[in-house]
Amino acid sequence: MASFILRKAEPKDVSDILRLIKELAKFEEMEEKVMLSEKELLEDGFGEHPFYHCLVAEVPKEQSSDDYSVIGFAMYYFTYDPWIGKLLYLEDFYVMQDFRGLGIGSRILKVLSETAVKTRCSAMHFIVAENNTKSIEFYKRKGAADLSLEEGWRLFEIEKQELLKMTAK
Amino acid sequence: MKFKIRPATKEDCKEISRMIMELAVFEKMPDQVKITHEDLERDGFCQNPFFECLVAEVPEEHKSTEGFTVVGYGLYFYNYSTWEGRTVYLEDLYVMPEFRGNGIGKGLLSKVAQVGKKKRCVRLNLSVLDWNAPARDFYIAKGARDLTDSEGWHFIRFDGQNLDNLANEAPED
Repeated sequence: MASFILRKAEPKDVSDILRLIKELAKFEEMEEKVMLSEKELLEDGFGEHPFYHCLVAEVPKEQSSDDYSVIGFAMYYFTYDPWIGKLLYLEDFYVMQDFRGLGIGSRILKVLSETAVKTRCSAMHFIVAENNTKSIEFYKRKGAADLSLEEGWRLFEIEKQELLKMTAK
Repeated sequence: MKFKIRPATKEDCKEISRMIMELAVFEKMPDQVKITHEDLERDGFCQNPFFECLVAEVPEEHKSTEGFTVVGYGLYFYNYSTWEGRTVYLEDLYVMPEFRGNGIGKGLLSKVAQVGKKKRCVRLNLSVLDWNAPARDFYIAKGARDLTDSEGWHFIRFDGQNLDNLANEAPED
């Protein structure tokens, strides 16, 4: 029976976090889209004004075949809704394939929800791709609301090229 | 019409609160506004603020029929993409109806983009309600893409009892 711990990420974890980010991107067939470096992760997560917070899941070295003990992570940050105030936004949530089915994902979700409640957040938000029906069903079973369906919210993006055009005027 | 766009101060929170309510009325959800200007003052002007805000101001001689000179706002904060790093999220963009057509909306959007650029953000995200055609057209004209359309992203929310339930369940250690 595998044991694991969940803890707050530390600066020494950035290379593992980047490895897991790339693994998840590879699974989504978007590995070449990961532009982030360890240096940026370090500066942005552990500087004076962190842009993100991270939980990591760790197993004892003996249980991991490839010398990796950090086998899952969840990255989140706080956002703001002008109607209800602080929210916890879950950006990425991943457990290595070999370590699934052990309750790590559920435990991560539980710790995040506790964090949200403790820090006075009114809700936890995240996005899911609509073809990821497994995840959507999982979240719906846990009581999540699909705001795109229920309220008609659509996610828009303005990329750097277009931002630069705007700032040049 | 002359106008100025500047960072909001704590004192602007009453005006921002007023306009948040105006926007909520427009979005047909006014009873969903639960926070007050005091919450804005606490959350936007603390050590590590949870949002930043720009306001659009007109001179006295152009004040609104009710006497307001702060006539628009853009409320935003920073997100983080595991692929690209820092991004800026524009949560609210609003200009009072009687002041539209003067470039204030464009000014607010550009200023948020400029702030984001200074902070090395690689993109700007926002959400629009599917029936809000003028807003969708406005952002698309500025080069935005609808990711819900092109990539099928859906917004998911856990709140209230469901959030509490989630926090209480799951296997014991």
